[in-house]
Amino acid sequence: MADYIDVTTLNRLARRVLAQCEPLNNLIVCGEISNFTRHYKSGHLYFTLKDADSSVKAVMFRDKARLLNFEPQNGMLVLAYGNATLYERDGAFQVYADYMRPFGAGAAQMAFDALKKKLEAEGLFAAEHKRPLPVMPRCIGIVTSKTGAALKDVCQVMGRRWPLTRLLLAPVSVQGLEAEDSILDGIHALESRRDVELILITRGGGSKEDLWVFNSERIARAVYACPKPVVSAVGHEIDYTILDYVADLRAPTPSAAAELCVPDQNRIRSEIYSFGQNIQNSIQSAWQMCYNRFSTARPEQAMRIQRSAIAAKQQQTAEISARITRTANDALSRKQAALGASAGMAASLNPYAVLSRGYAMVLDETGGCRPVGALRPGQNITLKGDGAQADCTVTSVRSDREDPYEESTQKL
Amino acid sequence: MKKAPKSFEEGLERLQGILARMQEPDTPLAESVKLYAEAADLIQYCNKALDSAKLKIEEIDTRLSGASAGVGEADDGQ
Repeated sequence: MADYIDVTTLNRLARRVLAQCEPLNNLIVCGEISNFTRHYKSGHLYFTLKDADSSVKAVMFRDKARLLNFEPQNGMLVLAYGNATLYERDGAFQVYADYMRPFGAGAAQMAFDALKKKLEAEGLFAAEHKRPLPVMPRCIGIVTSKTGAALKDVCQVMGRRWPLTRLLLAPVSVQGLEAEDSILDGIHALESRRDVELILITRGGGSKEDLWVFNSERIARAVYACPKPVVSAVGHEIDYTILDYVADLRAPTPSAAAELCVPDQNRIRSEIYSFGQNIQNSIQSAWQMCYNRFSTARPEQAMRIQRSAIAAKQQQTAEISARITRTANDALSRKQAALGASAGMAASLNPYAVLSRGYAMVLDETGGCRPVGALRPGQNITLKGDGAQADCTVTSVRSDREDPYEESTQKL
Repeated sequence: MKKAPKSFEEGLERLQGILARMQEPDTPLAESVKLYAEAADLIQYCNKALDSAKLKIEEIDTRLSGASAGVGEADDGQ
């Protein structure tokens, strides 16, 4: 009996041989997808890659398939990155894809459209979800390449417009296989920082292939879940990526993004200037108002009060003055009347008045008026009459009446 | 005199507040005069902040967030 080997040994042998073939271990296969199935339980992708003449079975395990940024579909032309070997159980030669991306314009567009439709249906692009940007962000996180032109543009524009802000750079790779994870890391690193108020994801212009990573579903979901507003600026004005749709604001270029993220210092300066003007005007009008109130309202009122007070006092004064005059006049005429009466009385009692009627007064040596009966013989007296007087000597004194008590008889 | 603002934004905000208060008709003149002096300081502060500002750029290490490895050398965007 000839030597034989069993099927398992055969397949193992074949797999070993294939494993030694270096090109098979790291290859990129270009082919169209057909017989595409996603295993309902395991989540692994099974499909066939074919071109015009041949076909090969292909598999993509769930862990890798999860990272795809597009939905593989039958008829789609893709580049499959991975290795090719024998599946021993079935003796099937197949490609194990680690990564895939659409190849060619048509396929890429199809994938893009499919993803866009899916995310749109989920509400990731909803206008209600778009958040406003902070007016004067103090700290902006920027996810971009450290050496790219985009960073230079952004720095230049922000330095000119609003140098008060601080840029926090998450340096990432924006192109190539690792770009997706790198950008995701950048977003996560920045969103977890408390000082970051806004995240800008940007990249300069490039081919559609170069910009492809920004159509990543994982990046789209990360941006949607990001607690901070996200601005996207990828490529040039005509380039639209899935990121642009999900971002809170899409800028056509990195420079434009920088303009949209920060205010213009010239505008703020003129705002401050007009604050100054308005404050100046306010203080002046406040002064003016106070002055007006003082110079019109207050003195006017004071003068009015003063004037009426003066008028009242004047009237009072006049009344008092009239009363005083009246009282004085009354008193005077009363006194005059009394004086007149007294004068009459005095005149009637005047002892000299009788002299005019021929009578004479007897005055002794001292000028005192003496009754005749009190004179003694030999005494010098003066007879005072009306307008004349005579000096006499008493020769004797007699009484006219027969008075028994008369001691002496006087003789004139 | 009040304390200097902690930031440009606070300075600007306080200026806005001062203007609004000064434009109220019932603000007493004495208060207006005080506010006026404060505003002058704030304007000076804000202008100085703008004059002396220079854009600062810091770099962070994205790997600290620990999401996934493989941060490569940054690529040129062009």
